[in-house]
Amino acid sequence: MTIVVDKVTKTFRDVVALSEVSFTVAPGVTALLGPNGAGKSTMLRILAGLTPPSHGTVEILGRDPRGDPGLFRSIGLVPQQEALFEPLTGLEFVRVAADLHRLADPGGAARRAIELVELDPDDRRPLRAYSKGMRQRVKVAHAVVHEPEVLMLDEPLEGLDPRQRIRMIDLFRDLGTAGRTVVVSSHVLDEVEKFGSRVLVIAQGRLAAEGDFHAIRELMDDRPHRLRLGTDRPRELAAGLLAGGVVVGAWISGAEAVTVDTVDVGAFRRALAGVARDRSARLREVVPLDDDLDSVFRYLVARR
Amino acid sequence: MISTVYRLSLRLLVTRGRLVALVAVGAVAVLLGVVVRAGGAEVDKSKAVYDVIDGYCLGVLAPVVALVFASAALGDPAEDGTLVYLWLKPVARWRVVVGALVASLSVALPLVVVPSVVAAAVSGVGHGVVGAAVAASALSVVAYTTIFLGLGLKVKRALVWGLAYVLIWEGAVARTGRGAARLAVHVYARSVLVDLSHRPKPKLVIAPFTSVFVPLVVAAVAVVVATRLLARAEVA
Repeated sequence: MTIVVDKVTKTFRDVVALSEVSFTVAPGVTALLGPNGAGKSTMLRILAGLTPPSHGTVEILGRDPRGDPGLFRSIGLVPQQEALFEPLTGLEFVRVAADLHRLADPGGAARRAIELVELDPDDRRPLRAYSKGMRQRVKVAHAVVHEPEVLMLDEPLEGLDPRQRIRMIDLFRDLGTAGRTVVVSSHVLDEVEKFGSRVLVIAQGRLAAEGDFHAIRELMDDRPHRLRLGTDRPRELAAGLLAGGVVVGAWISGAEAVTVDTVDVGAFRRALAGVARDRSARLREVVPLDDDLDSVFRYLVARR
Repeated sequence: MISTVYRLSLRLLVTRGRLVALVAVGAVAVLLGVVVRAGGAEVDKSKAVYDVIDGYCLGVLAPVVALVFASAALGDPAEDGTLVYLWLKPVARWRVVVGALVASLSVALPLVVVPSVVAAAVSGVGHGVVGAAVAASALSVVAYTTIFLGLGLKVKRALVWGLAYVLIWEGAVARTGRGAARLAVHVYARSVLVDLSHRPKPKLVIAPFTSVFVPLVVAAVAVVVATRLLARAEVA
């Protein structure tokens, strides 16, 4: 395993950012999925050695990332913060990394890294003139210039246009396929799906779930769902759905609405139209009430 | 490695705003030297230029210029989060500290020593005080710069803390007794100035060898401390 995290807890005064998180990461792309404030960035900072865990241990390639600068030859990090060395050009910024990594041809490596993220190495503008997407890409170039064995990226797709997102996702997948260990954090489920990766779900500072994307997706789909149904005959529709066994709870939530809980969304969807027809109920709307990612994460944390 | 950090630090430290402001602060020293020269026969020019070098160049110019650059060299990257781009590299921490220190000194030394020398020279007192101004101001800048480099890593708003140290400790407390004076860079630099310019010794003065040796030891210790602070830093 490239990365071994064992019972890591991180506290900031009274705030517990991470609580007893354990996992391992092998070569390939692994996504750290979780809502904002879940502890993903803190986890990445600990993995990169930028901050020590309060308890627990982290090993990258069998070494402690804290206090072993030599390990940084094998690590690349794209941090979340936007600040860069503003007076430098993009090429100069990446060249600093190439020089500090003592690459044989730092100038050539910097140009190649800049071109890899589809920026112009001859752009003479300082970084302070770069757009958010360009800043994000130059950060990636800075992180990959030395071709690290382990690449960690904190929300790397933020600020990128759709075409650049695709380009970056392809890049991460290629690196993973080539045997690199790529850890990408994201709070967007659809992004993670595109990585085609293993997923670690972090929520409320805890590891809420782990597995490949499809397993996580199934887990999320299998959870109880709450929906509001707009109809002119809420009592009849509720009775029909309960009688059909496709909902586990139903209550009238307005003159023309009924709220239901179901544990099998697929069966519910298939049965709904028939029940409404049988009960002569006109169906006006079906609104999922807990389909936002936060509620999904809350569910995953609660079931663990 | 050190040269890369040095060049980078220099690029980040030298801004037009900082340069203009600190050249202006240095120009005040030159102006005071001109005023001394223009003074009438009743003015003790030798004492007057000594007071300019000691009171202004060593007491204000050197600590302020050193503070502005040294506290920013690693402090600014620590505060804005760009330190991660230096920290996450296979570079010994002392090399990062030395690169940043040399960059700070490259800017601070000329901005302090040149006005001090010009102030001494234009006063027309003689070469002795010019040489003394060079040695005292250079020693002062080296000591302050190394101390404030670590301060930038240790505390947020290092500029404010540094100014508080200069004004309260060096400017007031250190004048109250020999014990406190021994913990003030200004007193050591003044002692070098007094010794080399052959001025009458003031009450609070350090012996010649000690006045050079102690600031250099303090500077070396400050580099070690800054290295430890950097190695243990929690990088944003």
